[in-house]
Amino acid sequence: MTLTQDQTLTDRGDGDGRYDKLPTVSPLGDALDWKWLKGANTEWGVRPKIGPRGLTMLDIATGSYGVVPDNPTHRSMAPRGADIDPDTPDMGYILNKKSDVWADNVVELYEEAVARQWSATRDIPWGELRELPSDIEHAMCQVCTTLTEVEMIAADLPAKWMWRMNHDFLEAKMFLCTQIMDEARHAEVFRKRALANGGGLLMSRGQSEGLLRTIIEAKSYTQATALMHLLGEGFILDIFRMGELISPSPVEKRMFRMAMQDEARHVAYGTMHIRYAVEQDPDVAEEIHEALDHGEAVLTAFGTNQDFGTALAVLLGGGVEHVETKGFALQADMQRKQFTSYLARCERAGISRLHRTKLPLELLGLDPNTILAN
Amino acid sequence: MNIATKAFFVALANELNAHPEQFKVHGEADMVAALVMRKADGDFAVRVAFEGLRVEDIKETSVAEAAAADYYLDGPLAAWQAMFDDILANGSASGRLTINSLALLGTDIRLRGDDPMGVDKFSRFNQTLQEYLDGAARVAVAAG
Repeated sequence: MTLTQDQTLTDRGDGDGRYDKLPTVSPLGDALDWKWLKGANTEWGVRPKIGPRGLTMLDIATGSYGVVPDNPTHRSMAPRGADIDPDTPDMGYILNKKSDVWADNVVELYEEAVARQWSATRDIPWGELRELPSDIEHAMCQVCTTLTEVEMIAADLPAKWMWRMNHDFLEAKMFLCTQIMDEARHAEVFRKRALANGGGLLMSRGQSEGLLRTIIEAKSYTQATALMHLLGEGFILDIFRMGELISPSPVEKRMFRMAMQDEARHVAYGTMHIRYAVEQDPDVAEEIHEALDHGEAVLTAFGTNQDFGTALAVLLGGGVEHVETKGFALQADMQRKQFTSYLARCERAGISRLHRTKLPLELLGLDPNTILAN
Repeated sequence: MNIATKAFFVALANELNAHPEQFKVHGEADMVAALVMRKADGDFAVRVAFEGLRVEDIKETSVAEAAAADYYLDGPLAAWQAMFDDILANGSASGRLTINSLALLGTDIRLRGDDPMGVDKFSRFNQTLQEYLDGAARVAVAAG
């Protein structure tokens, strides 16, 4: 018996006898119950409204399908909203509370990420690269070396935790997949830039690895996301925002601008995840503070990375001859902005660090009131 | 064209909506941005609503209402004029006169907003906003 698509979509056929004569045994002798056709216990007849840009994840979050449970009962990969057998296997998930991974903006961010993907091959005007003064080319190559090194942590970290996330939090996992793709593209674009103009990959030293190791070894996902999204990616976002100021050509400008938009999505997820986690369970705040206490110290060590720091200063100054008169001063100004952004982001996330941070606010010339107004 | 007018921002929107190919590389954007221009004879504020690949609405508003947008960019008229003059001279914003650099430096034009999720949108959709503002080069040419 063959059903038309229209019949399968519109007619459950439970009561009219239409499906009574279906075979009860498969050609291989297995018993068949046809439950999917005549009796699956799901919300049938949901018809989301298709929007002007197509059918989004927000559009299909209707009825029970839009309800994300705080504490899912299953531990399997069965799709949320399906009629799930009680004996589905336990996949070993350890992040089984919604507050472990969720953010109120995560569905929107997933759609945004999909809509705003770009290509490091096609969308950067590589053909506009011109020969640069040796110091500027070296500095750009050093910055790109360090960025290539640190970017993939934001892919490895979600990859480490995603298979531990309950599958009812599908949208959060989907968003993290986009983050992994974004970071692959960032590693790609910075590696390409280091190699594209006759330069190459330069110095890699221990300070960067210390920060990356702290992030990847975080004890919980929420600690990890505080270290990665709030602290690490927040700082990198500000470097990308600064990218326009250090770019010697339209190629680097475009590269930093495109990466900035991606990074901002990741930071937006992390900020709102922390906020959600703390709202749901205020005790989590201390766990996050402990991670950031350590993370800030390690980040400060990363910030003193002489290769990355001096390369940035040379680019900000416009060459080695201006590094002392202009570059270091501009860099200090940018660092103040980075720390201000970070502390303001913590406020937004509901984790006030103003009176706990180990960052030398006075030395940096930072006023907590300015941060609060940021 | 006087930049502190609704007509100017409507013209930018028409330019954007007529050339969606300029925006496709950036993808769709959903945000309401507001621009506030401080001037001696009374502040000017405008809300620009982006939806998908289009600007769907332009509304002249009060400074207080501007704060209800996802984010607002607040600066003296002279700073805004300098930004648009640069766009006109170069075809698009250059150097430290891109909207990102201006907001990052924060000396003339400041990024503000009450909702952190809204303020995030400035960075998330930054190049869409920049393309919209860069349309001033083509609008001014067309007007001339």
